[in-house]
Amino acid sequence: MKTESSDVGLRLRLYVAGNAPNSQRAIANARVICDEHFNGRHELEIVDMLEQPGRALADGIIVTPTLLKLLPLPVQRVIGNLSDRDQVLLALTGT
Amino acid sequence: MTPLPGILLNPPDLAQRLAEAEATIEALLSGQIDAVVDSKSHTPVLLAQAQEALRESQKRLRDIIDGLGPSMFVGLMTPAGILLEANRPVLAAAGLQPEDVMGKPFEDTYWWSFSPESRERMRATIERAARGEGSRYDVQVRAAHGELIDVDFSLHPLRDETGAVVFLVPSATIITERKQTENALRESNENFHHLADNITDVFWIRSPDMRDVQYISPAYERIWGRPVNTLYSQPQQWADHIVPEDRARVDAAFATLKGDVPNIDLEYRIARPDGEIRWVRSRGFQVRDAAGTLIRLIGIITDTTEPRSLQAQLMVSDRMASVGTLAAGVAHEINNPLAAVIANLEFVSESLTTMGSQPSATWLLEEVKQPLDEAREGAQRVRLIVRDLKIFSRSPSDDPSDAVDVKAILESSLRMAWNEIRHRAQLVKRYGVVPSVKANEARLGQVFLNLIVNAAQSLPEGRAEHNEICVSTRLEGKRVIVEVSDTGAGIPPEIIGRIFDAFFTTKPVGVGTGLGLAICHRLVTDIGGELTVQSEVGKGTTFRVALPVADEPERKVAQPVEQVPGTGRRGRILVVDDEELVLHSVQRMLFKEHDVVAVSAATEALALCARGEAFDVILCDLMMPDMTGMDFHRWLSGVAPQLASRLIFMTGGAFTAKAQQFLAETPNEHIEKPFHPANLRAIIRRHLR
Repeated sequence: MKTESSDVGLRLRLYVAGNAPNSQRAIANARVICDEHFNGRHELEIVDMLEQPGRALADGIIVTPTLLKLLPLPVQRVIGNLSDRDQVLLALTGT
Repeated sequence: MTPLPGILLNPPDLAQRLAEAEATIEALLSGQIDAVVDSKSHTPVLLAQAQEALRESQKRLRDIIDGLGPSMFVGLMTPAGILLEANRPVLAAAGLQPEDVMGKPFEDTYWWSFSPESRERMRATIERAARGEGSRYDVQVRAAHGELIDVDFSLHPLRDETGAVVFLVPSATIITERKQTENALRESNENFHHLADNITDVFWIRSPDMRDVQYISPAYERIWGRPVNTLYSQPQQWADHIVPEDRARVDAAFATLKGDVPNIDLEYRIARPDGEIRWVRSRGFQVRDAAGTLIRLIGIITDTTEPRSLQAQLMVSDRMASVGTLAAGVAHEINNPLAAVIANLEFVSESLTTMGSQPSATWLLEEVKQPLDEAREGAQRVRLIVRDLKIFSRSPSDDPSDAVDVKAILESSLRMAWNEIRHRAQLVKRYGVVPSVKANEARLGQVFLNLIVNAAQSLPEGRAEHNEICVSTRLEGKRVIVEVSDTGAGIPPEIIGRIFDAFFTTKPVGVGTGLGLAICHRLVTDIGGELTVQSEVGKGTTFRVALPVADEPERKVAQPVEQVPGTGRRGRILVVDDEELVLHSVQRMLFKEHDVVAVSAATEALALCARGEAFDVILCDLMMPDMTGMDFHRWLSGVAPQLASRLIFMTGGAFTAKAQQFLAETPNEHIEKPFHPANLRAIIRRHLR
């Protein structure tokens, strides 16, 4: 589990499945998007569902990769490897 | 709003759950999901493994297809002919990207773009395949750099469980090499046919048992006079037209060729539909594969009819050459007895002169009888020699084969060659009792003479006591064996195989024609015999002639000698001969019994007859200058036909063809010179009866 934190309001949690290709791609895509658009004012937690299935269950995750936007509310989920950057940004910023 | 794929709204209400489900399905379909949580066990299940396995198997399939390499094309298309898949190396080989061909009508792809015809043909093939009918054919396609290559193309329909055609599978294999091989083979075959079809000899290929004709060149038609295709349907036709006399010999030879004799070489005669007889030389060979199995028989048949007639002319000239080389020896042979004749007659003539007009009876007996007898003996010897010579003046075609006595012919040949033999060797004769053989006297005489002269010439002159020529006869089964051996230098093994070849000679230029043994071989073979040679260098050579025994016994020619003193009536005889000596001798033979009128020209004789003079018999020479006996006969038939029938011709032996024909066609009798007085008188008496 890796955590990248910031004081400012964007808080994300990405559920992945080990080193599976889409999971790896989702991690990479998430980092690039966050670095480019939120410039460190964000916190990205990566959770391996294979290691912590309980947390996934608690968060209502049924497939990986799934990106949860916990803050700012409302909570949003993005399913898939995050390769469509525009749609991901739409979900994260709500714009 | 239309939910965006992969995006859910929070808080989860019904619409959001629906959107979540749609996004999840969307993500699943687009392959972006690694794992799902099992709804019953609540444990995560990795999708990646399943996907990976699927991908792996797809990859393996593709590896297999692509592994076919650039020389084999495999694809998949819709029943409408839209290409869905193709193995990549083939695309690469043609310089194509997958998007150049995938999703396009197959007939519009690069491969068929070189001609509208090939495009149309492909369209038709696709339509047939869509109806469930597969195709396969060789066709040209465009490859890299526009080059056209030959492929073995096929298009087959794939059906689902209901039997409907769901896909078409095109495949193609490059066959440029195969095509080249086929072309090379066809060219080679064409070359073979071009060659074989145009040679004047018959070239044939048959199965090892001779039953099937695999090939026969058109020359068969020319020689046999029968169409080639009839031989394919009747493989034994060639043999059916062999003349009956040669059939058994040919069958025997081919029986050995079907067995373990690697090649045969023989001559035989065939009868054409028009009745013409042609001579052919047939050579046959066995063809075996690497394992030594007999796989076919091949052969060449040459029409030797014309070469044979040419050779027949050469035979005559060679016979003349033989006679020429022997002329000196024969002259010597004749001169000896002739010298005795002349000397004895001279002696008698001188004695008569010195004795005056009243010789006593005792003197006649003691002084004249013996020289006269010796003169006659000498003359008889000359007569024998001349008879021997006549054997060689006949043309072979004149005398058909007959039952002949080998020993008599050998003796005659030995007499001819005696002058060659006597200074070189002692002659040994070992005659066994043998039946007559079926042969032509003149031809056989020529063979023996040739062998004997060869034997003699292999020996140096002047050492006669150290050398030997042996002539022997014996019976071996149904064959008479005649051997002529010498103790000469022998024939080296390297040339012994060629000694029967025409124009092969070891003698200096001008001495031998090189035809002697070739002709001997031909003559002996022609009468069904065999001429072979055995030789050891330094020891000598033996030529062996094997001859078939004659079916019928030898024809005995009865000598019409009547020694009964003539008491018949006295007749009036006209003798016509341009040779005064003959004229006088005939006059002397007859004048005691008959009245003889002798004239030296046919014109004179004709004048007498035309004047109405009567004769009981007219003896007339056949060959005379001015008017021949033949002309005389014709004129006489006109002037005095009753006399023409009383004409008897005297012949000297050397006939022209015209004279021969005349004698054969004219009923009048003829007698050959020289004749014995008793014979002449007997004939005259017969005519006076």
